This record gives sequence, C-alpha cells and structure tokens, in this order.
Amino acid sequence: MTDVTIDLNGAKVSHAVEPRQTLADFLRELCGLTATHLGCEHGACGACTVLVDAQATRSCLQLAVMCDGRSVQTLEGLRNDPVMDVLKRHFHECHALQCGFCTPGMLITARDILRRLVKPEAQTVRHELSGQICRCTGYAGIVDAIVAAGQELA
Amino acid sequence: MADHAASDGWIGARLLRKEDARHLHGHGMFIADIKMPGLQDIAFVRSQHAHAKVRQVTKPADAAAQVFTLADIGPLHILEAGPELAAHRHSPYPALADGRVRYVGQTIAACMQPTRAAAEDLADRVSVEMEELPVVVDCIAAMRQGSPRVFENWADNAFITSTVNEGKPASLASAPIRLRRQFRMNRQATVSLECRGSLTYWDHRLNELVVYLSTQGGHVKRLGLSQALGLPEHQIRVIAPDVGGGFGGKNRLMPEDIAVAAIAMKVGHPVRWIEDRREHLLASVHCRDHAYDLTISADKDGTLLGVEGDVYIDAGAYALWPTGSFMEASMASRNLTGPYRIKHLKLNTFTVATNKAPMGPYRGVARPGACFAIERMVDEVARELGREPFDLRKQNIVTAAELPSRTAAGMRLDTGDYIASLDMARQMIDMPAIRKRQAAGEADGRAIGLGFAFYTEQSGHGTVEWVKRKSRVVPGYESASGRMLPDGSVIFHVGVQNHGQGHETTLAQIAAHELTIDPSRISIRYGDTATTPFGFGTFASRSIVFAGGAVAKSCRALVEKIQRIGAHLLQTDVANTRVEGGAVHGPSGKISFAEIAYAANVRQEHLPAGMDPLLDATATYEPTETGGVFSYGTHAVVVAVEPDTGVVEILDYVVAEDCGTMINPMIVDGQVQGGIAQGIGTALYEEIPYDEAGQPLATSFADYMMPCAPEIPKVRIGHLVTPALATEYGVKGLGEGGAIAPPAVIANAVADAFRSIGASFNETPLTPRRVSEAVDRARRAKGAAA
Amino acid sequence: MKAAPFEYVRPGTLAEASAALGRDGITTAAIAGGQSLLPMLNLRVAFIDLLVDISRLEELRAVTETPDGLHIGALTTHAAIEDGKVPDLFGGLLRRVAGQISYRAVRNHGTIGGSVALADPAADWPGCLMALGASVRIAGRDGVRSEPVSEFVRDAYTTSLATGEIILGFDLPRPDAPLRWGFAKVARKSGAFASSIAFVVARGKGGPVSVVLTAAASRAHSCSQTAEQLEQGAGSDEALRRAIASDLLTFAQDADSYQQRLHTATILRAIREWRAQ
Ligand SMILES: Cc1cc2nc3c(=O)[nH]c(=O)nc-3n(C[C@H](O)[C@H](O)[C@H](O)COP(=O)(O)OP(=O)(O)OC[C@H]3O[C@@H](n4cnc5c(N)ncnc54)[C@H](O)[C@@H]3O)c2cc1C
Ligand code: FES
Ligand code: FES
Repeated sequence: MTDVTIDLNGAKVSHAVEPRQTLADFLRELCGLTATHLGCEHGACGACTVLVDAQATRSCLQLAVMCDGRSVQTLEGLRNDPVMDVLKRHFHECHALQCGFCTPGMLITARDILRRLVKPEAQTVRHELSGQICRCTGYAGIVDAIVAAGQELA
Repeated sequence: MADHAASDGWIGARLLRKEDARHLHGHGMFIADIKMPGLQDIAFVRSQHAHAKVRQVTKPADAAAQVFTLADIGPLHILEAGPELAAHRHSPYPALADGRVRYVGQTIAACMQPTRAAAEDLADRVSVEMEELPVVVDCIAAMRQGSPRVFENWADNAFITSTVNEGKPASLASAPIRLRRQFRMNRQATVSLECRGSLTYWDHRLNELVVYLSTQGGHVKRLGLSQALGLPEHQIRVIAPDVGGGFGGKNRLMPEDIAVAAIAMKVGHPVRWIEDRREHLLASVHCRDHAYDLTISADKDGTLLGVEGDVYIDAGAYALWPTGSFMEASMASRNLTGPYRIKHLKLNTFTVATNKAPMGPYRGVARPGACFAIERMVDEVARELGREPFDLRKQNIVTAAELPSRTAAGMRLDTGDYIASLDMARQMIDMPAIRKRQAAGEADGRAIGLGFAFYTEQSGHGTVEWVKRKSRVVPGYESASGRMLPDGSVIFHVGVQNHGQGHETTLAQIAAHELTIDPSRISIRYGDTATTPFGFGTFASRSIVFAGGAVAKSCRALVEKIQRIGAHLLQTDVANTRVEGGAVHGPSGKISFAEIAYAANVRQEHLPAGMDPLLDATATYEPTETGGVFSYGTHAVVVAVEPDTGVVEILDYVVAEDCGTMINPMIVDGQVQGGIAQGIGTALYEEIPYDEAGQPLATSFADYMMPCAPEIPKVRIGHLVTPALATEYGVKGLGEGGAIAPPAVIANAVADAFRSIGASFNETPLTPRRVSEAVDRARRAKGAAA
Repeated sequence: MKAAPFEYVRPGTLAEASAALGRDGITTAAIAGGQSLLPMLNLRVAFIDLLVDISRLEELRAVTETPDGLHIGALTTHAAIEDGKVPDLFGGLLRRVAGQISYRAVRNHGTIGGSVALADPAADWPGCLMALGASVRIAGRDGVRSEPVSEFVRDAYTTSLATGEIILGFDLPRPDAPLRWGFAKVARKSGAFASSIAFVVARGKGGPVSVVLTAAASRAHSCSQTAEQLEQGAGSDEALRRAIASDLLTFAQDADSYQQRLHTATILRAIREWRAQ
C-alpha cells in the first residue's frame, strides 16, 4: 500500500492504495465519486474521462499513485463551472443523452474541446469526440450541443 | 417544463426530458455506483476452450471457501429455454459448468474477494483441467453430416428447423428472372456502454433476496430466478437502478445472474459482479449471425414473384431463458418478403448450435438480416433488368390503398403510405443530383453510390402473436398503477423499464394529457418488483404502445372517480361536469384535483356515501389488433468508396419514416438517430469473428470497432404520420426501426457505386477489406470476361 | 478487468531509475504516459513485478533547438506536439502526425518515448521519426548512447533497448532545405491503430526523398525503390506502382492482395500530398 494525496475537486484527499489501483477506481471506490463511469477500462470509450492538472485524462489509464500531488477534477467538482453550466443546458436542450452512461465523460471532453477551440464547427467537434463512445444517441445531439455551447461562449 | 405551453397539448410536445438532470450532474445511479457495507466482488473463471470436458477444478488451498463451483452453489434448477415446442431441443445451461464447456468464456467457477482486482487474482490461481473436444464454429458446416456435435445426445446440431411454404413456390422454377444470392450478417455484440451487473444480498429483516440487476425487465427476471433458485417469488425483489443501455442484451436470464444470487444466499453478505468489457464481448448476448442462401424470382417487367432458399441462424452453444433465439428464424423468414407483393415463399430455416457464445436479441431482432437480404435482392433484380432500383421498389411495394394487407409470410401490415415514404426519401436525398454527380466522377478517384432500403417494424403485438410464436412468457399486455396523492400530484408505477428511452417524460406526457395537469406534477416509477405491478419490461419496441396505453387507462379510471367526487362536492350530477386544467368544472364553479385528492385520501367524510377512499387505479392494456402495428420507413444514403483501401464514407443519410402519432418528436428523432448509428455499426464496423478453434478474435475495443462521432453522420429525418387504428392515440413502436435498414441501404449504396462492374456486397460488416476484395473480384471477373 | 498486483517506485533521478529497472530476478518496466502499458496491464496480457515511474524525470522532458536540429525529450506528449509546443522544423509534419494518434485524452499523456520504446508495428512515431532520419538517445548504466530509430526498432515490440536502459529523447536533424512531406493513414475507425501509414519526406526540391511504410510488416520500413523513383523525378503512377510492389516484396512478402492494394494506395496518397506542397 502506498499513500497518495490528490487535490480532488479543490480539496486534499489522502488514501492508502495498492499501486495497481487506477485513478478511476480511486475516485469511485475510495472517494465515492461515481460520476466517473467505466465502459471499457482500456482507454477506448472515454466514459471515465476526468481532468488531471486540467488535462482531459482517461482515469482508467492512470494509476492513482502516479497522480500523487496532482490536481484532479471530476464532473462532481465542476458543479459551479460556468462553461459546464452552458454545456449541460445545451445537452439537455439538444437531447444529447439517453441512458446517460456516457454523459459525464462526454461533458468533461466537451469542456476540454471548448477550452482549446473557439467556436468549433461540427466537423471539428466530431473529430475531437472520436474517442468517446455513446451507444444510444448516435452523437447528433451531442455534436449539436457542443457546437451551440461553443457559439454561446465565444 | 418551461418550454412548452400546456395549451398546445402534451401529446406531440417536444418536452425536454425529466431524466436528464441527474445524469448531467453526475448523479445517475448505476449498478456499479451502489455501495453496501460488507460488499464483496465476484470474478468468474471462464473457459479458455471452445469445447471441452472439465476434468477437475482445483481451488487454491488458502482461499478454497471463496471459490464456488456448481456443486458449491447448488442445488439449482436448470430452466428449459426456447419456444414451447417439442421439436426444440433442450440445451441445459448451468450457471457454472457441470463438467462440460461449450464456448470460450463460459463460466466455470466464481471467485469472491473484497475487491474485483483481488477476485481476479484468485480466479487466476484456480486451475482447471480440461480435455478438449472437437469444435464447430460455422452454422452451415455444423449442419453437414459428420460435423462435431455441440450436444452429444442431439441427432444433429439444430436447435430446431422449420419450413415456410406459402403460395405456389413450385411455379417459380419457370420464372424469367431467377437470381441466387448468398448473404451473411456476421456476429456481433450488443455493447451497451454500461456492461451487465448484479449486486445481490439477503435482506435478513425482510427475509428476502434483493437483486440489483442491470436489466430491461425485472419481473421476468424474478420469475426466472425464482425457478432457478427454488425460492418463492415473494422472497425475491429485483431492482433495476439506472440502466446504461440494453438493446436486447439485458433481457435474458444469464448464468452470472443466477450464480451471483446463489452465492449471496450462501454467504449472507452483499456480493456483486460487474461485467467488464472483455466479458461483455466474450460472453454477453451475441447477435445477428445469419446466413442466407436465397433465390429471388421475378417477371421480365420487374414484378417480384417469390423467394426460396435456406435461412441459417447461428445461435451459439445454448438457448437463453426464456425464449432462446428461435424467434430469429421465424422473424427472419416472416420479414423476407419485405413490404412487397411477393406471393410465393419457400424457406427452410435452421437454428443451429455452435461452439460460440449464446445468441440473444439485439435491437431489430432478425429484421436487419432479413431486410439486408430482401433489399439487396431487389437491387440485384433491378440491376439485372437495367432498371433503377428505386423504381422497382415502387412498382412492387403495397400501396396505401391496399393496406391493410397480409404479406405472403403472414404479417398484417396495417396503416401507412409506403410509396409516400419512398418518394419523400428520394426527394430528400435528391436522387437526380446524385446521379448527375456520379456521371461526372470524383476528382479523388472515389466512387459515389446511392442506395435505398425500406423496412417495416412490427410493434405492439399482443397475446395471440406471442402465443403463436410459442413464447414461454407471453408479453401481451403491460401494466400501470396510478396513485393520486393528497396534494393532487400523481405517481405511476409501470412494469416497463426505462434505460434511455425517456419513459419518465413520454409516459408523463400521456398522463398529463389524460389528467389535464402539468407533467411536473407527475412521476413515473419503474424498475422495482416490490413497488411496480407485473410487467414484461422494455423490448420489441413495445413500451410506448403498451405502457402508454396502460397509463392512459389508469388515468381514465382515476379521472372517472375524480369526476364523481368533484360532482358530489360541487353538488351536481356527473353529467353536468367536465374535467379541464386539473379541476372538475360544474355549472356553479370548479374544484381542483388537489381538493378532491385531499378528500379522497385524508378527508373521507367528504366523499359520496358508500364510495371507497383513495385514488388508486391499476390498469393493464393490450391493443385491439394483436398482430401488431407497423412503423415503416425508407432509408437513403450516399456513400463515397475508395476501391483500393475499401474505405466507405457516408456523405448523406436520410430517413422518411412513419411511426404513427408521436408523443414526443424529439425523443422519436433521438431513437431514429441512435438506432441508425447502431445499424451503421452492423453495416460497417462491428464484428466478432471466431477462428477455427472457436477462439473469438475481438475481445476488446482494440479489435471490436465501435463507431464514434466521425463515423456517424447526422441523419436527416422526415416524418409521415399515419396514426395506427389499434392503439391509444395511434402510436406505433419505433425503438428498433433505425437499426433495421442501415446494413441494407449501405450495402445497396456501395453496390451502386460499383454497378458498372457488377460487384456484390453481401456480407456485413462491409469492412475495408471486404469492400476492396469485392471490387477486385468483380474487376477480375469483368477483365476475364472481356 | 483489473491489473495483477505489482510494485511501484518513482525514482528521483535517472540513475536510480536505471538501477531500479535493472533489478535482477524480476520483470520491470518503465512507465511514462501509461497509455499503452496500462491497457495491457488492465487486460492482464502483460505482467510486471516492478513498475518504475519515469514520468517526472526532468532529463526526459527537454525540448531544445540547436543549429543541428531538434531534440525532443522522451516524455514529450503527443498533445504537446499537436499543440505546437515543439518547434516546427519540419513543415508541420510532427503536428499533423501527433494530432491523429488515438484520442486527445490519450494524447495528453502518451509520450513519444513510450511509443518508440513499445515499438507497436502500427504505431505512428517510429515510422515518422525514421522518415525524418532521427536517432534515439538512450541512457544506460554505462552512460548515454545514440542509435538511428531505423536500427533501434528491430521487430514487433522489440528494440535494442537493454535492461536498465531508458530513452532520453530523439535527435531530429535540421533539414538543409525546406521540408516537403506527405502523410496518409488508413484505420478501421478514427483514432484506432492504423492498418497502413505512409510517410513521404523530401528536403527541398530535388533533395533526397524518404518513403516509409508502417503497419505493413512487424516494423516500419523504408521503401527505397519508390524513393528513388521520386528522387529521379520520374513517376508515372504505373512506374510508382511497380516500385512500390518491389519494395513490398522486400519487407512485406506476406502481404496478401488486399494489403498490397491498401499499402500502395496509402503510399500513392502520401506522394500526391507531397507533390502538392
Ligand atoms: C485507445 C488507444 C488508442 C491508441 N492508438 C494509437 C495509434 O493509433 N497510434 C499510436 O502510435 N499509438 C496509439 N496508442 C498508444 C499511445 O500512443 C501511447 O501513448 C504510446 O504508444 C505509448 O506511450 P506512453 O508514454 O503512454 O508509454 P507507456 O504506456 O508508459 O509505456 C509503453 C512502453 O514503453 C516503455 N517506455 C516508455 N517510456 C520509455 C522510455 N522513456 N524509455 C524506455 N522505455 C520506455 C514502457 O516500459 C512500456 O513498455 C493508443 C493508445 C490507446 C489507449
Ligand atoms: S473506461 Fe476509460 S476509456 Fe473506457
Ligand atoms: S446516452 Fe447511453 S451511452 Fe450515451
């Protein structure tokens, strides 16, 4: 067991972990933060995406021990984030979710897209979403929502 | 509920979804999110071999009590699965192997530890001694003489065979046009983004087994668990929390469900199993996997006459409870005439056991294969005749005036205007412009193709239909239990399950319409056998028809009583009252539902003499036409194909569809777009091939290609609205339709791109390799002929 | 799908890291971005006793431009290159390649060093670096050595890296004339590992040309006959196809007819893009 301290959603959190424990399991099993979902555990679906030092990150492909001393933000920690508020509204209005399982990872990714790109067009958004699987919606609503949020925020 | 004025009416409103908020804030509660004190995780030891005797399972000495084999969790009853037909062979499927495994991934033992990681460590330390047996992986080879057998006591590998003989197929031999084609729709997985899972414990206070299950229908699972465990149903409570997609894959009782429940009963603390993606691709419900060898006959003028041939369903090693995959063959053959005036049909169907994972239902069940086969053949006939495939469709499809119409295969197509849908799609895709573009050629050397495909989607089929199918459970009705609380707000408990379909919103719209109150005053509850009336769950595009009807009936019973109380309180006759805006109006004034509900629940002295208190009504509903109602539509697509790499890009995709009355058009469009995305997966990307030894070759997303946003176009959707006659409000189910036509329409478009060389694209997914090889074959054939 | 247990250390210096990786009697591995190693560990297709975290070693981070060229530290992420945080001496080729590797969240952590060290036959960087004539700089217990990437990568998942050795970074020679390039990639879906990648790189007009094909064999290979055709300025499609065919015969004898068509198509596409520059 190794002690790990992470700045999690703005507060310092420490736990003793096995080195093999992923950040995703650290968040879900030790911290009770279950917005971060697991859809594949090998980096291909994006359901587990969180921010590590403000970078979009697959939490299934990070060891908790490697995040020692870093800052991690999950959807729970972005409750009062103005960009996230706009995104959530557009997700709701564009019917960008059905079962909701992909939604947290999509939102984190969407926020990362809008942080890097100003007013991205649909084609760009689609390319940026290439590692996010949604099995339900067929992506149209998600792309529309991100494009609309980008326009509103520009 | 801000963005919709109640005066417009709630039926047909683009109401934003009630279920969104929790997911947007990360408060969804899926199986793996549930925490319980003392919870332990399960990992399964699974077969590495496709067919083997299990000689010995050796548990690590230091953890023997945490390793469970069948002997440790029994006695369990094995449920017979499949249709209730003597001819359907029984394929006993134990929760854990009983000395024999028949596919890679079959459960052999279960290992329990405080974490999943530790459980997997333990599973790695269990040693299994196996003796390999001969393997059969191809469903056509499996039916040849001398093939290895999946079950030794069966005479051959068929679960069941059947024949269809309609019209005068013998007359077809002399038809001027006879084209024989082979089609394959290969095996894939259902791939809900949330895998399956179960968290189960014995509730010592209530003396019952509590089963949290990621399922499409808890009541039927309880029935199965009760029979398998030998535990009375009143001592089992199945709860489906948020379910992260199902698509058919969460609608069968699976060995893991039974094993986890049995272990929970033994150990006395909560246990859970959360399926991981590899397990999902290895051993969850597999689907599609149809092979067709068909001959279509036509007249010189293009009149389609008949279809003959063989239909093979590769059902895998076991039938899954309750219905197995027998329905695949019957539904495939019943849809093989499509909506065409084809009179003669002669089919042999084979539902075959192989050493592969068991097959289950997946969005569209059987119809994507049947649609692929018939729609490809229509295009082939057109090509043979030098006709535009679109015109040939129009010539043969039943007209609005002919509806209702019974197809040769016995489906009663009800209402609609199929030709209007064809025309609408043609207009939306702008066929003349595409034909012009094709004639001009592309600068980048790619070939452009245009395809059409038509589909129908049966939904709302009731008792008679399911009995005809010899279904083990007969999902011919649905239930709703409405309860108006003292403040006039309302809760409905329904027997269907919501896993993305938006029932919390659409069923509330129906209730709001009937009760004349705002949907924000209405809650829809589901997914708990302890609180909901018996129902069958969500599948077969049935929920809006059945649960919608049940909610409407329950509302009407409530309104009837509300009106009587209202009249009494207004001191007038019921005949002098009307219900509007959540109040009963009489000649002298009105009284709100809230006041009436208050009286009915807590101030009974205000009720009419002799009236029972409470506003509580449970209703069941079955449509009047039990053969079902048919949604339908035309898909049209433009593709660009690079012949050498075989890469297919979708340039435009349109749908002209009719699902009757739309309760919420936004949700309809979401279902259409989502279904098409899955259909595109079937058409171009998703596949689980097996090698000759029965090893599956796609067990992670590195090999199993899941289409993402760049692969899926935004579909342009046009609606026709022909209300059904047999359902409430004229609704028709529409959940599956989107997934049915994409393989057909995309293959037709790719074939159109290469029509000049006559290349055929008759196997899905149309991977770059398959496409390029088909083009190459055709080029060589043409070269050889020239 | 959880990794089997392993031990973990995060050495503070390169020497300590090297020593940890060289520990006898156990299986060790460096972890940089973890974007290849962790999927393999989670899937239990790789088993490691000791994971040595090199992700915070400053020596592996340096990105320096000199008159001779560019040094890219092994820990440089795909995303950093995509975002142009690495000086662009190569006409935008690095950015273009980086931006098409996998997905952004993977690119934020995956490193160029990890990519070359793993030597996946379908990885993007080894072929790209070969085409640019880059060498790999390696630290071991006995000091630092350097080797051309084309020699460093031996076979599928096999390099010349010895126990205890760590990739420090890559040295990319400065082109003596403006670089012109073409890049073509075919994958089964966006972001998935490619089934074919072609790079065409030339220094100036009439300068030496390098053509590299990835995912056709167990490692990336130069297509020297095709390059020669291009250098001679010849190059009807027919002549090029013939040259490609004979190149494929030298290193991809097992390629079936589809693969031959596929690889030919990607090389031709890369050539078209190169010509258009
Ligand atoms: C879903 C997905 C899709 C992907 N698609 C692609 C793709 O299309 N193309 C592509 O090129 N890559 C792809 N990758 C891989 C990705 O680019 C990885 O980032 C990269 O291959 C490895 O970099 P890393 O830093 O993450 O290495 P790690 O995973 O940390 O390590 C990989 C290997 O390299 C060794 N290693 C790492 N750094 C060093 C060093 N400095 N010295 C010595 N040894 C070292 C490790 O010991 C290990 O054996 C994909 C990854 C995922 C998860
Ligand atoms: S769970 Fe991490 S990418 Fe799928
Ligand atoms: S909404 Fe179900 S996976 Fe995206």
